[in-house]
Amino acid sequence: MLRYNLSTVVILLLAFLVQQFIPAFTGLSNARFLIVHLVFLCCAVTVTPPTMLLLALIGGTLWDAHSSLSQITGDPEVYTHPVESIRFGYSILLFGAAGYLMQGISPLVREGKWYLSALLTGIAIFLYLSAEFTIISFVRGDFVITRAVLRLLFYTSILTMLLSPLVFSILFQMAKFFDHTLYRTKGKARYRSA
Amino acid sequence: MKPLNLIALLLFLAGAMWALTRSQSVVRQIQVAYYTIISPTLTVGSALETKARNLLEETRHSKALETELSAIRSEIGRLRIIESRFSALERENKELRHALDFKKATNFDVVAAQIIRRHPATWWQTLEIDAGEDRGVGVQLSVLSNEGLVGMIDRPFKHRSSVLLITDEKCQVSVRVEGSPEVGILSGQRGHFDNPMLRLRFLSKDASLKPGQRVFTTGRGGIFQPNILVGTIDSVEKGPIDSEAVVKPAVNLSDLGTVFVVLSENP
Repeated sequence: MLRYNLSTVVILLLAFLVQQFIPAFTGLSNARFLIVHLVFLCCAVTVTPPTMLLLALIGGTLWDAHSSLSQITGDPEVYTHPVESIRFGYSILLFGAAGYLMQGISPLVREGKWYLSALLTGIAIFLYLSAEFTIISFVRGDFVITRAVLRLLFYTSILTMLLSPLVFSILFQMAKFFDHTLYRTKGKARYRSA
Repeated sequence: MKPLNLIALLLFLAGAMWALTRSQSVVRQIQVAYYTIISPTLTVGSALETKARNLLEETRHSKALETELSAIRSEIGRLRIIESRFSALERENKELRHALDFKKATNFDVVAAQIIRRHPATWWQTLEIDAGEDRGVGVQLSVLSNEGLVGMIDRPFKHRSSVLLITDEKCQVSVRVEGSPEVGILSGQRGHFDNPMLRLRFLSKDASLKPGQRVFTTGRGGIFQPNILVGTIDSVEKGPIDSEAVVKPAVNLSDLGTVFVVLSENP
């Protein structure tokens, strides 16, 4: 189990490297594959809560390092209404919340119904991005939602969810390699989907 | 809840609080460390993206010709910017000699950079260029193209920098409208990705503006140099207290190849 848990940390770090190769689809309102989030969510459903929280801490910190903006220090007499940005570290909490959401259906995964988790990854991504956009709106003082935003939420969730079977397959292979039981069917330990 | 899970949750919350309370300098150090570690991957990823973009171009050049053309384009762009800058200064000098601040015009130089990544973050309108601190690029320097203002440097690293585009809501620019006394603050609009327009706020209640009027930077605010073209008025919305205008960016930000960072410490 320890080796499998460590391997989930490694695969999450690898996901950050892979994410660098993934461009935004400008024709789809800048939708993209969120590989980091997907790997985290898939790992979250296969590990214990402490490991999930460790993954959330690592993933959230690195994601904020990847994407958070600097503070702009213009003349306050000219720029009287500076636009706030979300603080470094908020992603840790969002990753944790999404991880707990996935943990809620971990009993189903232990029963071998991993495909429900695949569906839930899409929902979790949608909720994650919605929460992110809501936080941005909150700190900036108004809530503006456009069709482009809805398209980004929808397409990113769908695109990312489509890759979840691949990530689950990798996780099952890893579990098999490290001799770790992910789920049981008919009283027999199984490591991968049938 | 099991004791182990509770302890893990408390440790997790402590870690999150630690991250949320870090100062800007610590965050910057974390980001520098992160980008240093993934730098080799970024280089490969950027090269792949650039190659893919080049494949879509209609004209295909030989490697040598392409390099030469790229260098010439960069030089022409640099010279055009400098020429337009001095033309604007000359005109301003004639009209407002007594009000001109000469110190602000003495230190003006630009460095050419290629765009290597577009939209690396989900919500922010940013791109990455291949010029960093090794070429004198620093934080909050103006970024221009041949057509006008592109944005400003958000995060400079050793060999690359992140540019916050003018179409991002966070990038505010103090501007004036040509042929009118109107000045205001221009910024991007949240949630507009497909055909981003800018919003010019804090105009006077009876602002008399027409579509097509050009919008230039004022130079106030400590970030952008004056007289840089930002865009043209698209429409005007009059309100009970003030007016706002929608501005079309002068630069086609989706089709940028080369940009120029203004290496001026005193805008």
